[in-house]
Amino acid sequence: MSGYNKPLPLITPLSKVFYDACRDKKLMYQQCNDCGEIIFFPKHLCPNCMSRNLGWKESKGKGKIQTFTVTYEAAPPEFAADQPYALAIIRLDEGFRMMTNIVECDFNTLSCEMPVEVVFDAVTPEITLPKFRPAVK
Amino acid sequence: MGSIRGKAAIVGVGEVPTGMYPERSFIDAAVTASEMAIKDAGIPKKEIDTVLPIIVVANPLDNANMVCSWMIEELGLGKTAKSNFMVASGGSSSANALKTAVALITAGLSKAVLVVHSDRLGTGLDLASAITQFAKVSTSQEYEIPYGFSQLALAGFLQQRYMFDTGTTERQIAAVVVALRKWAALNPNSIFYQKPITIEKVLESPIISTPVRRRMMNKLCDGASAFVVTSATRARDLTDKPAYVLGIGSRCTNFTVTHQPDPQKAWAPAARDAYRMAGIGPGDIDVAEIYDAFPTFVLMSMEILGLVERGAAGKFVEEGHTSPGGKLPVSTNGAMMAQGHTGAGGGPALLVEGVRQIMGKAGERQVPNVKNVVVTGSGGVGMDFHVEVLGKEV
Repeated sequence: MSGYNKPLPLITPLSKVFYDACRDKKLMYQQCNDCGEIIFFPKHLCPNCMSRNLGWKESKGKGKIQTFTVTYEAAPPEFAADQPYALAIIRLDEGFRMMTNIVECDFNTLSCEMPVEVVFDAVTPEITLPKFRPAVK
Repeated sequence: MGSIRGKAAIVGVGEVPTGMYPERSFIDAAVTASEMAIKDAGIPKKEIDTVLPIIVVANPLDNANMVCSWMIEELGLGKTAKSNFMVASGGSSSANALKTAVALITAGLSKAVLVVHSDRLGTGLDLASAITQFAKVSTSQEYEIPYGFSQLALAGFLQQRYMFDTGTTERQIAAVVVALRKWAALNPNSIFYQKPITIEKVLESPIISTPVRRRMMNKLCDGASAFVVTSATRARDLTDKPAYVLGIGSRCTNFTVTHQPDPQKAWAPAARDAYRMAGIGPGDIDVAEIYDAFPTFVLMSMEILGLVERGAAGKFVEEGHTSPGGKLPVSTNGAMMAQGHTGAGGGPALLVEGVRQIMGKAGERQVPNVKNVVVTGSGGVGMDFHVEVLGKEV
């Protein structure tokens, strides 16, 4: 038993591709091979042109903080012990967005548009979560 | 796009007090609000051939039973009703219910429609369950659940970015709460009746999820409201003051907050459509009943509605223009921040209040000479934006 008691992502045949790559420290997203649409969250059907001809690509893992919040109280119960923790929406340089935690920093220094980079947190033997930290200059 | 301008009207409203009412059952509240709306309309109940219950959050069984025509039996409509079906889109359910009601009436498929909401978020659900339940809705199970998102984080996300983009100050955010509490202090159905608050009180409350403070959060409550919609022709027989539906506009844009587009760009077309259908502009609005859940959404919405320039809403509210006696009253029932958050009930409560303002039934909150009221609604984590224009005259 890992002792990790926070919610784990739902693993489907599609999300398994993403999380298997995370375990190898790779952040993957999709691009439509027909129309070029950048796609995340991963899908089977292109939300732009309805093609099913989608391919995986590896992100460089760099982006900017679109917005964030540092939760001090009233978190969902499984996260209460982690308070305060920083939750953010990141705009990746490749043109997709994801929700994540910001780690390895003083939360008081965070701001919108701050450059960040991915780090990988192996929370269980099966699941590695991509998180972000302020970009090393 | 077809126009429904002036073809239907809301002719009666009902509402039970919002707050903590452990002794009041779910169905009693629903029936009482419906009874009030039907009697307010002065319509024989046999004319109500369609009932549209709005989604119930606190209790899945109450929700399922409302889907399965509970109200038809309670109100004795079984000999005359044609349809009972739930309209469910979270906080925009009432907007979609009104849209559906107007369409059914305009098409001649219904004579009169009862929209009803009841929920017990105050006493029917413990707070920890509520936080957990709301945290998992409108959230990607594959890619968002692991990170600790919640509705408070949502408020934090929106306020953080809005302040960054517009330079709005924390004091101005607090001023929204103060303005809503002034209205709620005049509203006997609100949980904060006769309980105004100061900016200082808001600003000295602790940070919950940056930059949101405790008193910038809403309070979960029990509540119920209802309204009756019928054709403009029938409305004129029933009352000399129907609240005509002059314009409807909406946009539905996203599932998760991660993929919420710039609200100003994505949702302003909803307001434009509603105004165009109504044949008016934002300058013709006398009262705005704005869906909130939290204060930033009020400011964003004022700008989306064109009531103020982008980034100017905070200053406008701080100067008192949206408060009682101000030049543009906003959310005169106190909205969810100050009347109380009843699940999907914030939307119908604002519609009911907008109708009261048109019909001259808003008591101490009555704004003089109201001709046009704009009402908004939004569901999920901000997945859509709905705008209705109600008017005294066609």
